[in-house]
Amino acid sequence: MVQFLRFATLRAALAFFTLCLVSFIVFSLMEMVPGDCAERYLAFKNSQGAMISIADIEFERVRLGLHKPFLQRWATWLFNAFQGEFGDSCILRLNINQLLGQKIWLSIGICLGSLVLAYAIAIPVGIIAATSRNPFLNNGLRLVSYLGLALPNFLLALMVMLFSTVVFGNSLTGLFSPEFRDAPWNTAKVLDFLGHVWLPVFILGWSATAFAIQTVRALLSDEIGKLYVTAAAARGVSGRRLLMRYPARHALSPIINSLGFDLNRIFNELPIVALILTLTEAGSLLIEALARSNDQQLAGAIIFFLTGCIIAINFITDIVLALVDPRIRRSILG
Amino acid sequence: MTKTNIYDASVNQSAKDAYFTASQGQLIWTRFKKQRAAMVGAWVLIILILSGLFAPFLTPYDPTIAGRDKDYLNGAPTLVHFCDDNGCSVRPFIYAVERERSIKTNFRWVTTVNTDKRLYVQFFVKGSSYKIAGMNFSAHLFGLDKGYIHLFGTDSTGKDIFSRTFHAINTSLAVGTIGVFIAFVLALVIGGISGFYGGWIDSFIQMITDAVRTIPAIPLFLALAAFIPDTWSAEERFFFISIILGCIGWPTLARRVRTHLLTERNQEYVLAAKLCGASPGHVVRKHLLPSFTSYIIVDLVISFPYMVLSETALSFIGLGLKDPVNSLGVMLQNVTSADVLLNYQWYFIPVFFFIILVLAFVFVGDGLRDAADPYGDTKK
Repeated sequence: MVQFLRFATLRAALAFFTLCLVSFIVFSLMEMVPGDCAERYLAFKNSQGAMISIADIEFERVRLGLHKPFLQRWATWLFNAFQGEFGDSCILRLNINQLLGQKIWLSIGICLGSLVLAYAIAIPVGIIAATSRNPFLNNGLRLVSYLGLALPNFLLALMVMLFSTVVFGNSLTGLFSPEFRDAPWNTAKVLDFLGHVWLPVFILGWSATAFAIQTVRALLSDEIGKLYVTAAAARGVSGRRLLMRYPARHALSPIINSLGFDLNRIFNELPIVALILTLTEAGSLLIEALARSNDQQLAGAIIFFLTGCIIAINFITDIVLALVDPRIRRSILG
Repeated sequence: MTKTNIYDASVNQSAKDAYFTASQGQLIWTRFKKQRAAMVGAWVLIILILSGLFAPFLTPYDPTIAGRDKDYLNGAPTLVHFCDDNGCSVRPFIYAVERERSIKTNFRWVTTVNTDKRLYVQFFVKGSSYKIAGMNFSAHLFGLDKGYIHLFGTDSTGKDIFSRTFHAINTSLAVGTIGVFIAFVLALVIGGISGFYGGWIDSFIQMITDAVRTIPAIPLFLALAAFIPDTWSAEERFFFISIILGCIGWPTLARRVRTHLLTERNQEYVLAAKLCGASPGHVVRKHLLPSFTSYIIVDLVISFPYMVLSETALSFIGLGLKDPVNSLGVMLQNVTSADVLLNYQWYFIPVFFFIILVLAFVFVGDGLRDAADPYGDTKK
């Protein structure tokens, strides 16, 4: 137990360190953009007709704390970020938390949904593919998984849109019907949401599924030829029982380990898919912030949050794996 | 023993000799040739690369605004005919398109196809001039003497989508090549240092690599691409985008280089070289890297489509390349409007070329990976 706690603490410390490093990269990127908050704010005021001088900009800098050294500002930003406080967006002049609000949770929900969908399909299909000798099935699956790469999510989204517009006359976009957009959450809104959300979940899950099938298949076909499986078969275990109790269990633990990176890949595609399907969540806000309004505070907050989620998942999978897999547990307990 | 038997035996022997004395490259090529899917992929890839390189010759018009057909905006693809009601012809032809605006059409521009007027397709037509390998040419594979031919239709400014598609293949290949090259150099240097020295240097570099890997790549692309000032020319943007792609693509490759070096550096031949007084750089270049070349080539081929697709995604949102540079992403800008989806579906024709391009890369990459694996044969 003590060793396990030590292991968990070490992992947590490592995750924390990675998060700091990531925040440093993100913060440096935010800083490198020409023009700071004070200049933008006053440029805005100028456009409203107010006369401003260099002294005004300097005063504004002091007020926003921008005159402090880079590292100190980074530390403050990081400290606040851990408390869930990202400050104000200096383009929209709104508190970022207020802007993001439930949108970030919608994004994370959609991504986790896609991840679950991907593995719900990939694990059974991958197992069948690895054990079956049917060439049609195998080649078919191979083609599908190649297409998962060649037809990336945003092209798929475009194609689905094209198809549904031509066939149904409805582009299937958005997350809510117009009447629910600003309504408080209730059963009707949840149902409406579910009626819309399946498409982004499917599209984001598409290439994740293709990748996952490949991984499951490769891992399982590596395990299936091993001696312990033959030995178990010789003892009279057979069929599905053999598969589930021996090779499948072994093959699946590396998958738990790679969940974080799968989530990373899905997050990666989210903004563009969100833009195409006009989803009103954090992904499209990120594109908006980066491509249109150049709002670095908002973009930084979103990237930091997404990365934080990935690091958290990585940490959780490490711990779960240590609990589930006796080989890893033994290596920790020494 | 008959004569033929001796002959057979000697053939066998020479085949064996050829096998045992074959270089790594020859072995990989022999194994690669056996995979039908990979070979088909390779042919398709070669054709696409060549058509990208010779795009100005293969396509009838300049892909920029200079080559636009101002009388045929958002025009549907022209169909090429050999036969019609008036008989057949060996030379393919298209029908003339007429555009008119009068009281009959409610004062809107309406284009009609005049099936009575044939326009014959000419080959090796003189058209807009272009440069291949520093020399000026003006011949195009096909075209019309008078009027325009648009196999894939035109876009909202009247640019020929067929010409743009082929130029876009060229651009994507160029972006991919530069990106892969930069990623490759970075990966080799960083992964090389990490794997060769090991110890705390390795742990430190790995920590940074992992941190870079945790940030989703496309948001990172976006953040970097947002730096490009609007005043930059299309060419400057093009190089900057390629550099960004390379700077973000290195971690996976660096990890592979490192893992390989970590296992190889404890081998005896490395120790021998060190004892002879070879410098670290010499050991890496002359002894360690050659043991790894084939894997590196495979990895490069596999990472190529990712570069191409990232560029497409970036340009699609408007942060990547811009007109007059053509790339798939640039061509797909603005296609999400209902107008395009309902009325101008030929905007999507280039997508199929790109799916084929990426698929060809994936098939070749996969085939190469199997071929480069020396234990691949024994497993089956």
